[in-house]
Amino acid sequence: MGHRLVSYSRIFLFLKLCIAYFGIVLAGCGTVDLEVHKGYMNSNMQPRSVAILPFTLEELDPEKVSPHELFRTCFFNYFSYLGYVDMPLETIDQKLKQAGLTDTNKILESSHNKLREILGVDAVIRGRVLSASNFTGGIHAETSIKAKIDMLDLRTGDILWETEHREMTYSGILSPTIVEIIQDQMDNVKVHQAYFKAAEMFSLNIMKEIPDPADSWNEEIHLPKITSIETNLKPNLKLNSNDRIYVNMKGDPGLTGYFDIGSWKSNIPLKEIVPGLYTGSYTIKASDDVSSSLIIGTLKNKNGLTGKKFYKDGMAQFNTPSTH
Amino acid sequence: MLLLVTLVSGCASDLQTKVAGNLNSLSKDQTVAILPIETSESGQNEMANMFRQGLYANLKQSKFNLMEKYIVDGLLKQNKLDDPSGFLAINPMQFGEILGADAIVFSRINKVERSYFVVHSSIELSVSIQMVDTRTGEVLWRAEQTEQDFSGIGKIPTGITTALLAPIQFVTNKFNLRKMTSKMVDKLTALVKNPENAEKNSTFDKTVIAKNATTDLKKIEELQQLKAEWTRALDLEAENDPELLDNETQPVAKKKVLALKTLSLPPAPEEMGIVQVGASLSAKAHKGQVVDAEMAPLPNVPKPQIMPVSLNALKTTLATPTKTDGHSKHSQRKIKSGKSIKENVKPSTALFTVQVGAYKTKAYAQNLLSKLVKKGYNAFVTHNKVYRVQVDKFERKEDAVKLAQGIQQKEKLKNFVTTVQPG
Repeated sequence: MGHRLVSYSRIFLFLKLCIAYFGIVLAGCGTVDLEVHKGYMNSNMQPRSVAILPFTLEELDPEKVSPHELFRTCFFNYFSYLGYVDMPLETIDQKLKQAGLTDTNKILESSHNKLREILGVDAVIRGRVLSASNFTGGIHAETSIKAKIDMLDLRTGDILWETEHREMTYSGILSPTIVEIIQDQMDNVKVHQAYFKAAEMFSLNIMKEIPDPADSWNEEIHLPKITSIETNLKPNLKLNSNDRIYVNMKGDPGLTGYFDIGSWKSNIPLKEIVPGLYTGSYTIKASDDVSSSLIIGTLKNKNGLTGKKFYKDGMAQFNTPSTH
Repeated sequence: MLLLVTLVSGCASDLQTKVAGNLNSLSKDQTVAILPIETSESGQNEMANMFRQGLYANLKQSKFNLMEKYIVDGLLKQNKLDDPSGFLAINPMQFGEILGADAIVFSRINKVERSYFVVHSSIELSVSIQMVDTRTGEVLWRAEQTEQDFSGIGKIPTGITTALLAPIQFVTNKFNLRKMTSKMVDKLTALVKNPENAEKNSTFDKTVIAKNATTDLKKIEELQQLKAEWTRALDLEAENDPELLDNETQPVAKKKVLALKTLSLPPAPEEMGIVQVGASLSAKAHKGQVVDAEMAPLPNVPKPQIMPVSLNALKTTLATPTKTDGHSKHSQRKIKSGKSIKENVKPSTALFTVQVGAYKTKAYAQNLLSKLVKKGYNAFVTHNKVYRVQVDKFERKEDAVKLAQGIQQKEKLKNFVTTVQPG
């Protein structure tokens, strides 16, 4: 009977260890607790264009790695996967600079009206890195980023969602294998990479929680329409220097038109001579040397969406320079 | 010793990647679309999503513009292309038109394998990826990658408990799969983000064209070849048509009208009731032709000219003066398919002759020539792509017309008057 009691206590001890072990190994990959406010649920008011403002850092990092900037870039990279029109970071920074906003704290304190006027987007994402640390010592290695992130609707001034989360990568005495402990120590010494990994995990976890409006836009996605493209190319026509390729394209009016000669020559401008009719040309130079390329007409709208059409009744074939 | 063990027992990775030189020419002006990932087995969807998300995140900072995922998916849905396993069978050009992208990325999850043997467990991931230029069908990047990692006795457990639990935790915790996928995509995309750093062994020796693109490009080329041959045949037919007697401009006009029907291009402006103010006589003579002759100012003939546009939307006269280079004194030339543009210049000192036949085969031309010579005609053969049998040369057109009528009556030979080089 006594022997049986000892066995049970050993089993309980073993189970306790298991729970403690799982608790520790899973600690670094906790889910993000993101609070979505009621205003976001109104599908008519879902933001379309979003700018990610510069992130702030509460405590200066002694390693001079700027984890907040690194986190912003990483966050932007992953955020682009969601169904928002995200403004490039360089454009955001440039616009803020032009408006005289260079202090990141002041940017976050700016009114929604002012930010809307400067950036012209529906919403902004604000990130405040509350703490960031990287420590490697003995058998302990740890990198963490704690941040508060929210989305502010610039049209209404409402906060659409917000979260405060700490992402940590940890390795130490409770790591399951010695090899992993050593490997993690070696990885954690590379501070920049260690922060990037923590930022990446933070971003991955938060992306799962941020509402994705992609499905709402499915019906609204329309590429610029090109109804016809014509060129003066004909089968077997060999082009020589000073010959000119003419392209006429008909499509949606008021857009930017250009054409490509295969991938060899891109973005040759087309001029809209009457609404919906674009025309342009390219003069062959003596140095041009391309075996055969299709002509591709392109129309681009203000959102950067492009419509393409191939001219398939002839290819641009150049006489090689030696045969000119 | 431990360090050595660490290095040896670390996760294994096998990456084979190659890029094309043209990858360097992509810039922010070019758009690349990452298509949904093909999976080889059910149950790989989670990995496929993580992989695609990783690709987007990693390639966002590349030199080209990345098409938003929701736009790619939305357009594919609109076009009922929802099965990634069928993507490789579709011509990249078609994707170019559907998505408006300059290049597309196809990828496939080949393997997601989790193994567990009490004190040892492992995960193996394998992917294939290919970026194809939609404008040329050229493969810009191709890679195969396998990533393996394990947990268990081989990594020296810290205790008996961990020896038993670590392998279980390794294969069941999604965090490990995500970490491995992230690591995999980092390595995979490194070269594409900086293709200028590609070493020789990571670069294609020669241009590689995607298989389905090759097939379709061949079809286009064959079709164009057929059209060229058809146009040549029409040339010959038109030149021998009796209705064209005594009108040297008509053969060209008729040929162009036929060509228009053949190529089924949009109607010419005059057919749409569009008035072309300022168009020259020669331009009017070509009213029914396909767009090439209307739009083809002759490269070495850069006289400022009217370039009528044959599109329906055009309701007014379009006069677009164009210049090609400094040689602006020549007149506009007619273009015939299959010929160098330079070959079409007619000298001002041309003589008139009567053409009685034209053949692809020299023997047939010689046969007719000898018959005519025997009958006392001053016949000769000229060769320019085809062998033309012509009779006599006159300075005055009336003389040529007279001879043409005589040949028609006496020899019952269809003919027409045309010009010929003196000498």
